[in-house]
Amino acid sequence: MSRFTLGPVGWRPRVPPVRAEQASPAQLAALEACPPAQRRSTYFLTLANDPGSLGERGALFTEAMYAAGGLDRADRELATAVVSMVNGCVYCTSVHAQRFVELTGETVLMLRLLSEGLDTPLDPRRRAIVDAAACLTATPAAFGVAVIEALRGVGLDDLEILDLIHAIAMFANANRLMQALGQSILPGGARVG
Amino acid sequence: MTDLIDALLGITPDAPLAALRANRAPARAHAEGAWRELVLPAGPGGLSLAERAALALRVVLLEGSAALATHYRGLLIDWPAVRVAAETFPAPEGEERLALLLRYADLVARQAGLCEQAHIDALSAVGLSAQDIVAATQLIAFVPYQIRLLAGLTALREAA
Repeated sequence: MSRFTLGPVGWRPRVPPVRAEQASPAQLAALEACPPAQRRSTYFLTLANDPGSLGERGALFTEAMYAAGGLDRADRELATAVVSMVNGCVYCTSVHAQRFVELTGETVLMLRLLSEGLDTPLDPRRRAIVDAAACLTATPAAFGVAVIEALRGVGLDDLEILDLIHAIAMFANANRLMQALGQSILPGGARVG
Repeated sequence: MTDLIDALLGITPDAPLAALRANRAPARAHAEGAWRELVLPAGPGGLSLAERAALALRVVLLEGSAALATHYRGLLIDWPAVRVAAETFPAPEGEERLALLLRYADLVARQAGLCEQAHIDALSAVGLSAQDIVAATQLIAFVPYQIRLLAGLTALREAA
């Protein structure tokens, strides 16, 4: 039975979040660099304890996930859900699996990926993206020419591949932050890493 | 302008990878900005520059990137004892501040899912503020971004 779910997962911080109404000008400015829908989330308010890193990191995250053109947004969400599965981040997996479903309507495919794991059958394009995400996450030294050629073989151009690298790398960061600074809470209240 | 990634990979301004990266100038600029804010901040607060460089070097050694290891080792040239501690495996035991920070780096870099409240509380107990703990965690989590970006760009260049 897989721990991963499409359902809403909560997150409880281990460091006190900044209170939005008491945030300093530097903290408010840093929050402005983060994706608009998430600026007042407990997670970003926790990161706002160190506004210098949040501002730069928030802007980097926004570019990696939402930069115009290049790799399709659904593919970025698929890749980051896969990275989150490899890293065991139940919270991030649920968020980005949901976004993938919102963008594609492919609920059945995502539920199958979550329950069966990364070896589940996929079309060639998604297989190449999933394999690249898993490889760069688990074994960056093994991410070589063969992976790039596989991505080109299913039609990705170099800008799309760069976007994919940025998204995968971003979640090496995001998963660790989320798992270290707080606890995922499954629907029903069970705590998981 | 050359950033850390260009410098480590030897990407010259006329290289195809420089042109490709220019399409994503904000990603380039903010990765550089995050690195500066975390490793070389103007106001390091309660997490010293030596501790920051030690955390970064530790994560690089765990994850493997020779060029990045040389970079972070260079930042510890004035703190040889800190550098030796960061390069010691397994990490030093005990409740001393640097030992706790290095063991926290090991945990977050390799097994972040096993992190618990007690690990955070141990950092508080040696005087790290909420800001210091978030900065340390951001730094430990940012180096894996750098390592994967370097690996990805290297593969793209070799596949040209």
